Amino acid sequence: MNPVISVRELTKTYQMGEVAVKALRSVSLDVDGGEFVTVVGPSGSGKSTLMHILGCLDQPTSGQYFLEGRDVARLSDDEISGIRNRQIGFVFQGFNLLARTSALENVELPLLYTNDGTSSATRRKRALEALEAVGLADRAQHHTNQLSGGQQQRVAIARALLNNPSILLADEPTGNLDSRTSVEVMEIFQSLKEARGITIVLITHEPEVAAYGSRIVAFRDGVVVSDQINDRRRTARAEIVEMPLAMEENA
Amino acid sequence: MSLRNSFHIAIKALRKNKLQTALTMIGMTIGVATVLTMIALGSGAQTAIQDQVRAAGMNLIVVTAGNYQIKQDAVDEDAIEPASYNPRYQARFLRIFHPEDDPMAKHDHPLARQRLGDSEAGLGAASTLTISDAEAIRKLKGVQYVSEGIHMNAHIVRGGKRWFTRLHGDDVALPKIRRAWTLPQGRYFNQREQSKAEQVVVLGAIASRELFGNENPTGQTVTIWNQPFKVVGVVGSGTWMVVPEAGDDQFDAVYIPVTTLQRLLNLSKLNDITITTNSTGEVTRVAKAITDLLRVRHRIGPRTPDDFTVTNQARQALAKGGMRPEVARAVVGNVAGLEKVTLEQLGKTLDRASATMTALLASIATVSLVVGGIGIMNIMLLSVIERTREIGIRRAVGARSHDVLLQFLLESVTLSVAGGLLGILIGCLVSELISRSLQWSATVSLLSVVLSFGVSAAIGIFFGYYPARQASRVAPLTSLRYE
Repeated sequence: MNPVISVRELTKTYQMGEVAVKALRSVSLDVDGGEFVTVVGPSGSGKSTLMHILGCLDQPTSGQYFLEGRDVARLSDDEISGIRNRQIGFVFQGFNLLARTSALENVELPLLYTNDGTSSATRRKRALEALEAVGLADRAQHHTNQLSGGQQQRVAIARALLNNPSILLADEPTGNLDSRTSVEVMEIFQSLKEARGITIVLITHEPEVAAYGSRIVAFRDGVVVSDQINDRRRTARAEIVEMPLAMEENA
Repeated sequence: MSLRNSFHIAIKALRKNKLQTALTMIGMTIGVATVLTMIALGSGAQTAIQDQVRAAGMNLIVVTAGNYQIKQDAVDEDAIEPASYNPRYQARFLRIFHPEDDPMAKHDHPLARQRLGDSEAGLGAASTLTISDAEAIRKLKGVQYVSEGIHMNAHIVRGGKRWFTRLHGDDVALPKIRRAWTLPQGRYFNQREQSKAEQVVVLGAIASRELFGNENPTGQTVTIWNQPFKVVGVVGSGTWMVVPEAGDDQFDAVYIPVTTLQRLLNLSKLNDITITTNSTGEVTRVAKAITDLLRVRHRIGPRTPDDFTVTNQARQALAKGGMRPEVARAVVGNVAGLEKVTLEQLGKTLDRASATMTALLASIATVSLVVGGIGIMNIMLLSVIERTREIGIRRAVGARSHDVLLQFLLESVTLSVAGGLLGILIGCLVSELISRSLQWSATVSLLSVVLSFGVSAAIGIFFGYYPARQASRVAPLTSLRYE
């Protein structure tokens, strides 16, 4: 089976004035379909840069990136936009939702750019279903600034999943969340992997969060220092049951 | 992404910043409204000038029975002069008795035939114009109104008072030809009265004053040739350029249907036919067409001169069009070579002058449109910077760069077109208000509305393109990091 994501000797150099900063130094990595890979490393280790390149938001200085067998460097800007639209879902640390816009409209955003003639009624229906899946159907009309951090992140997840992407990229998704909400978000990720077989690449600097993945890749100074199957995987669902309910927000 | 979706997004974005949107729109609104009002005022002035020109007879053609110029060596088309003005020929064609003299109070029918020249005579005295000639002229292309005319003098009697004045037998269309007329009392005679040759009379303001003083003569009866005539109205001057005076041809006069005159006097011929053309520019062509038509109708061979005279000249207009004698004299004296200037040349000069004025006003107003456009560009550039993050989010979920371009372009076009539409509305209202309060005709033409709409859309595209392009060029990652 071909890997879904395959990078070969990827380097990325940023020019910061006079100094050239090497964020990635020859990284090679393969991710198979259905894997839940967590990339862990201290800040500045180049893990975010890797995710941006994997998400086609940025281009490498050198090296190759094959996404489902296609060389991304050979694709046009419009084709890459299409990939971001249909094949990749993003979840960011800062949520990146449109301000002063309802949760529902945020979720249906990717469908606006899909160009398959979906009617606005269908868009709405699918967005509502996606919100329901993350347990926010009753908050559909709320504006994003009226939602708590955890709720916003769930809206972002619903948006990322709307077009049924094969890959979900998450950059510090729990970075701005409290511990219970973090576990809840991780629970969503884990069940996505199991129920839908989505390939997940999650970036974090916390080893505890990284422990939820099925495979842990450790980064340091732009190179992979370790890459192993996670034997002691944490299960979010089991942890939630044990947690006190007092933290549940009532926004 | 479909255009409809892009438009939807654009509208939503504009509604989020209501105040900003409104202020930017006002810039466009003021620009469009000013341009529209200026053009309306300018073309209103143009229409007013054209009306004045028409009132002065610029589109007037008069066909007179008889031809007094046939002995002239070469007839200059542009400068036909009545024979009486030319002392060289005056002696030879001196009329022994004026056919329109009417020294008798009592009218004698059989004599009228001779008087109006129905009797055979030389070409110069021939009076061969008929009502059917006038009917034929009515059917010519470019002809607006036609009025048959028989003119004579008559005593108008009311009770003990009598007034010797000009009597015109004319068509119902005459008030439309004499644009500077008003009807302070009553009405002009109508088509029904004319076709039935009824005995109705319209008094000139002077005749009315002499016979009735300050009374309203409408509905009263006067006697002409011992026949009772019912007064239906009074005509007066509608412009400051013409003041009714005793002895003038228009207001010291009475008007009756030409058919009535022909019936009572047993006449079949006319003195003249007065024609107006649809536009001043057509005068020469129509005059030529009338000449050709009448020559055919009168069976005049190729070597035989006309038995009628077609005039369409400044002197004619000044004399008959209703300009005050002193004004007319001043015009004749001050315009070099007026005798040679055709009416349409004069009309075109005036048209050009007012068109220049309109262009000047419109170009000044255009400056405000450009300012409005720059306002849009400014606000769009700010908006692109302000919404860099939003652009990044859209790009991350799959918006192509031209989706972003389209969205921002549609925003600016929506702004400018909405502002423009509001401007059109306000421009129409202001023009209407001005024309009502200042009595200055200011009509907004459909063309200028369509043009304003097009220009505002074009401004939206022109001034919105650069900001939209900036937006579409923002790299997705840079904009996501932007705070």
